[in-house]
Amino acid sequence: MANHPSLTGVATESHAVPNHAAEYANRVPAPEGYWHIALPRWGYSFLLEKRALAVNIGLLIALLAACLLYLSLGNVPLAPSAVIPAVLGKGDMMTAFMVQELRLPRLIAACFTGAAFALSGILMQTLARNRLATPGIIGIDNGATAFAVASIVGMGVSIAPPAMALAGATTAAVLTFGLAAGSGTQGYRFIVAGIGVGAVFGAITQLMLAQVAIDTANAAYPWTVGSLNARPGGAVQLLGIGLALGIVAALALARSLSLLRFKDATASGLGVRVKARRLQVLMLSVVLTAFAVAVAGPVGMVALIGPEIARSLSRARHVPILAATLAGALVMLLADLAGRTLFAPVEIPVGIVTAVVGGPWLIWILMRPQRSRP
Amino acid sequence: MNGTSLSPTLATDALCMSYGQRRVIEDLGVSLPSGQVTAIVGPNGCGKSTLLSGLARLHKPDSGAVLLDSQDIQRLPARQLATQLALLPQEAVAPEGLTVTELIRFGRQPHQGWLRQWSSEDQRVVQYALDAAGLEDLADRPLEALSGGQRQRAWIAMTIAQQTPLLLLDEPTSALDLGHQIEVFELVRHLACHGRTVVMVLHDLASACRYSDNLIAMRDGQVIAQGAPAEVVTPALVRELYQVDCTLLLDPDTGSPLLANVRRLARPE
Repeated sequence: MANHPSLTGVATESHAVPNHAAEYANRVPAPEGYWHIALPRWGYSFLLEKRALAVNIGLLIALLAACLLYLSLGNVPLAPSAVIPAVLGKGDMMTAFMVQELRLPRLIAACFTGAAFALSGILMQTLARNRLATPGIIGIDNGATAFAVASIVGMGVSIAPPAMALAGATTAAVLTFGLAAGSGTQGYRFIVAGIGVGAVFGAITQLMLAQVAIDTANAAYPWTVGSLNARPGGAVQLLGIGLALGIVAALALARSLSLLRFKDATASGLGVRVKARRLQVLMLSVVLTAFAVAVAGPVGMVALIGPEIARSLSRARHVPILAATLAGALVMLLADLAGRTLFAPVEIPVGIVTAVVGGPWLIWILMRPQRSRP
Repeated sequence: MNGTSLSPTLATDALCMSYGQRRVIEDLGVSLPSGQVTAIVGPNGCGKSTLLSGLARLHKPDSGAVLLDSQDIQRLPARQLATQLALLPQEAVAPEGLTVTELIRFGRQPHQGWLRQWSSEDQRVVQYALDAAGLEDLADRPLEALSGGQRQRAWIAMTIAQQTPLLLLDEPTSALDLGHQIEVFELVRHLACHGRTVVMVLHDLASACRYSDNLIAMRDGQVIAQGAPAEVVTPALVRELYQVDCTLLLDPDTGSPLLANVRRLARPE
């Protein structure tokens, strides 16, 4: 007891709450590691975590550099100095065509899908309190893929792939929830149920491909491994809108998300409407994955790698939503760049690149000892 | 710390609650005295933890109500309830790497919002909670690096920062050794001194006698005794609660009852 004399009972006087209101009236000291931005006129105040700001700016710079590299490299290498004017529609016609018509749309698709997968991933991981519980692992990617492939190989339905992917993702999520009955999104039961659901949908996809003509199956093949080669036109725009709204929604939920990492009882005790929030976060995660799968197929590994990078760079106080989103875009972009260029002219689907890199990464995550941060 | 008179009262009215399919609390009416430490004791499965989760609105009653100042807590917005009543669940766990101060700051969340993230009041209360729990020197340590008792004090500090007149603790000392238990209990007494109403579920009758002003003894979902420990704890009560015989002594320093020579009943009833 000697180390905290405050508990000896006689220290009441010194523990009366000091009222420094006057002293703080002008300047409220921010917690260590934060900037405090106050707009006293409206009663608004914001905390900006210095570390988070640095991480996000750093990732943004890395992403921009990767974009430049992505536009420059390829079958016909371009000088970075020629790429920037080409993006703006200036300079050499041929270069402008190549950048604007060929590489830029694919770059945008890569950034959007990577960001959506990673954002979806960190939301699901937070919900399940398990870093393995990405939408890909609990079967949502496969559900979306099965439905999208069904629409492509023409199994009697002709709805656009995004709508079908959304239907598939929702079906898989509902099934996983149903099978994990009662245990909610926590614990291994949810993950094991999800792995089962994912396996079933994966098998259904294979079954569909086995039954159609070889050409049709070939056309649908990139869908099954994840590729940015065949991008349905409207799907990218839809993903862009979904992603923008998703980021806003996730940031609006950020304060509750931080508390959802605790036990339900703790979050509830701190005023979070746990059930409603969980449902919102789950729906957001499912929709983001569905739209991303509709563009690129199941590149679920990005949902594991993006958030992991973000968490390793960030402090533990908040869920690093923006950092995970940026890291996801960066990983997807670099993976697709590697797939396009490493073995040119043969192109390796981005889903295979991320799996080759992500597999060992996953093993490393599972094997490394629990560290405690400084 | 807001003065005892302002503390709202917490009570139940004809409360019935189930755990899974099983009805564990039947028609329970109990009132928790303001500004005092109340301990809820009873054998395993008597419904004490279920009662606490009902008081904290973690589980919905089958019928009846939990009343906060005569108002059904089911009707209160979650945020508003969290400014009146703080809860420390059993074996709370925190995200890896969280420091003591970061944890305590979460206690301010019910008072904050997206547009009001930090105020001088937040700053003052977080510092107060650190001091009150004796954690000044450990403020920037990650929770994993603390001892069991220190960690539990950090959790209680989080609920202190919530600045609620009511504090519910579910077996706050269950995983702690004797020295760490005393740390936590003395902190609880300290909080009651400052006008908070504390309700805790306890396994250990002896600690309940020593550190509570008011004891609620439960068995089979019913309250079988309530009052000051020195008045309600008798060998007959102990026998009824735990199916054991004992000799009761009085603590020469505090006058609270002590259990001695505890033994199994010669003939189980």
